[in-house]
Amino acid sequence: MRRRTAVIAGLAGALALVAAGCGGGGHSNATGGVQGASHTLVTSGAKKGGTITVLSEGDIDHLDPGAAYYQFTYAITYVTQRPLLAYKPNSIQPVPDLAASMPTVSNGGKTITVHIKHGIKFSPPVNREVTSADVKYAIERGFDAAVGNGYATAYFGVIKGAPTKIGNTVPNIAGIQTPNKYTVVFQLSKPSGIFVSALQEPLTAPVPADYARKFDKGTQSSYGNHQVATGPYMVQNNAQGVITGYSPGKSIVLVRNPNFNPKTDWRPAYADKIVFKEGFDPSVATRQILAGQGDVNGDFPPPPAELKSILSNSSQKSELEFTPAAGNRFVALNTAKPPFNNKYVRMAVAYVLDKNAMRLTRGGPIDGKIATHFIDPSFGSQGFNQAGGFTFDPFPSANNSGDVAKAEAMLKKAGYKSGKFTGPQVTMVADNSPPGSNTAQVVANSLEKVGFKVKTISVQHSAMYTRFCGVPKNTPNICPNVGWLADFHEPQADLDANFNGKNILPANNVNWSLLNDPTINALMAKAEVELNPEKRWADWGHIDDLITESAAAIPWIWEDSPTLYSTKVTHASELWNGGEPDVSFMSVK
Amino acid sequence: MGAYIVRRFLWAILLLLVVSFLTFVIFDVFPSADPAVLRAGRNATPALIHQIRINLGLNKPFYIQYWRYLKGLALHFDLGYSYYNSESVRSEIFSRLPATISLTVGAFIVWMLIGLPVGIVSAIRPRTLLDRTLMGGALVAISAPVYFIGLLALFLFANGTGLVNWFDGAGSYVPISQSPATWFGSLILPWFTLAAAFAAFYARMTRGNLIDTMGEDYIRTARAKGLRESLVIGKHGLRAALTPIVTMAGMDVGLLLGGAILTETVFNIPGVGRYAYEAITNSDLPAIQGTVLFGAFFIVFANLVVDILYAFLDPRVTYG
Repeated sequence: MRRRTAVIAGLAGALALVAAGCGGGGHSNATGGVQGASHTLVTSGAKKGGTITVLSEGDIDHLDPGAAYYQFTYAITYVTQRPLLAYKPNSIQPVPDLAASMPTVSNGGKTITVHIKHGIKFSPPVNREVTSADVKYAIERGFDAAVGNGYATAYFGVIKGAPTKIGNTVPNIAGIQTPNKYTVVFQLSKPSGIFVSALQEPLTAPVPADYARKFDKGTQSSYGNHQVATGPYMVQNNAQGVITGYSPGKSIVLVRNPNFNPKTDWRPAYADKIVFKEGFDPSVATRQILAGQGDVNGDFPPPPAELKSILSNSSQKSELEFTPAAGNRFVALNTAKPPFNNKYVRMAVAYVLDKNAMRLTRGGPIDGKIATHFIDPSFGSQGFNQAGGFTFDPFPSANNSGDVAKAEAMLKKAGYKSGKFTGPQVTMVADNSPPGSNTAQVVANSLEKVGFKVKTISVQHSAMYTRFCGVPKNTPNICPNVGWLADFHEPQADLDANFNGKNILPANNVNWSLLNDPTINALMAKAEVELNPEKRWADWGHIDDLITESAAAIPWIWEDSPTLYSTKVTHASELWNGGEPDVSFMSVK
Repeated sequence: MGAYIVRRFLWAILLLLVVSFLTFVIFDVFPSADPAVLRAGRNATPALIHQIRINLGLNKPFYIQYWRYLKGLALHFDLGYSYYNSESVRSEIFSRLPATISLTVGAFIVWMLIGLPVGIVSAIRPRTLLDRTLMGGALVAISAPVYFIGLLALFLFANGTGLVNWFDGAGSYVPISQSPATWFGSLILPWFTLAAAFAAFYARMTRGNLIDTMGEDYIRTARAKGLRESLVIGKHGLRAALTPIVTMAGMDVGLLLGGAILTETVFNIPGVGRYAYEAITNSDLPAIQGTVLFGAFFIVFANLVVDILYAFLDPRVTYG
């Protein structure tokens, strides 16, 4: 998901938290965020017309809405495509978009019915009205390896007839029914508490089979370069439908979709044109935004030095917004082998880690709040509060700098009479470049205080995931640079992949702790099918507490993402998408 | 001469083969990221990863992948398909080449126009205050990283981000075909930034070579024959002193045509260097391979041109 600097992780679906040095929150709290500008949606003074320029360091992952899986890409996908549900910028609650109303759940949670709006048309060259069959095809093509979707099996694999394995063709999924042109019925093999929320994923944005099928043939779909839009904007194309507005690594140009009917949408779509300029150094781009040469940052946070300067300038400060990144960073301990298969040894690590020093490696309080459990504050009453909010901290220490005495007490319980770890050397695979390498150094220093001898293997961040921490047979004792961004604001999307024993895979594994606790697994299985949201969020809040107390992984920061606007535009940061700018709500003043 | 060029050409092909093979081996042996896993997304099943591996041809042993790559290269000049943005590497490189050529050629002119005169002046006034000042400045320019000089230039002189708004800043590059004036304006800061260290190095090298040359017997003879000092320096001294400079210039231009990564990154110039940087960041083997080969080609080619030029510069050189 969202990447905020080029040094961290590569692609969409790069498994991990990819946000980097971000800003503090809009309020102070016990875990030490900094005062910053409030998160607002400014619509006063908005007017039609003009061009908005978004500056970015890197590129999007995929133009194709069926393959897009990256927060920065979503800033484009959600203004060019209309999934069944979507979000208004300052909300984490999905609302109907292509759907005419919220889905109806029946049959004990196994049947979900969605009616879609009349009068929504595809952009040229297709030019016809969207039907339910287009939604069906869009989801089905997500199961074709040629499209390369990263979450189809995770959220839509529960549909009856959905393939258990990704294949080489677009399957016909019997559980997606289209009784008429404007109705889609999903028949599930079992109830799913989060299925309705998952309907906001861009995979549900309609794709016209009659037009797209020829591009989906072969080993790699080229639909992205021929895509049609349903949103207020479209990627600039020619009369044949070939995308002309995308130069990889250089720029993306969005223009108005001539077939867009504003009566069907809640997006105001003020600007006439949106230009994404790519390839900027973050320091330079930050200064250009302050100078009005760009309007907002896309995939990078202003660097800490620039952030501190902006925060000390009252006029510039008002153009800066902080949004919770909807994720966390944590240190994963391998629970499948000694010494961290012993809970007390893990708890010793949880006590001794100097979280404050770790946060300093990413810029200090300006980067976010010290995390004391996994579900981050952006979830609010959807799991964060139920997990204990800011008050739940099973491993407290003064100034969050670690508690050596408590750690030694845990080691004594684990059988190390001296209170110092006297076992063999432990291995740690870490980033080979800052800030991750610095964080790893702090982790090593903390562990050495209670006797651990740490051997650090430094590799590229993406290699850390794909060759070591994500491959159980290669998983070291410690992975200090892992993290996670939830796909959407359901606690299951935040916890299940990382800590459910059933999700341990031989490759591309994201249960980096290899946690396979029968109690936690059973509670997750129960919570996954819970249809009552209040009860579901309470269940996941409790699960969060249990995982944290197990010390299989130690969360240490809830990051905030800073979004900087020029004085020429109004603000619209996406709360649901880690602070990405919603260009369909921004306006040139 | 003809036989010499053919021989060098064959050596060049062999060298490019070795370079491409080494790139492949390094990528295969060292722990870089797995492109299939990166593409597979969250919770991807082993089946999906396997399928992507097949689609990308990564399921084959590396030597088969390498052979296929060579075949594509030799028969179709095909540099492969980028894992990351699903674009042809060849078209990506060629679309970015004009920007890199613009940057390199302009910077080359700047550094030669600064480096050579400074070196000559220092050489004919050795150990004077002027010499020490110029060489001191050269030392600073050599020591300062391009990245630092680039940012400094932007924060001092670029429109919008600078203390004074004299020149266009980062991201302002446009192709010369689109607007020659904007093209020129957007490259002034990058040219001087890239040229700074080279100019300094060439100044020091010119100074050293010229001082050595001016101590030769034939220079004394020329002076004894009553030639003007400017002729002695220009016709006899400089010509001999420039031979190693030409070698270096050829190598450096070849190197930069392969991509000036830092300069292109700081100034957001969409050239081959920036593409190489993105390829490395994204573990995009075909793009890495393509940019490495491309860079190697220019270095080899530049070497060949320099060797041929020797004959014209130095009458003692002949080709057997």
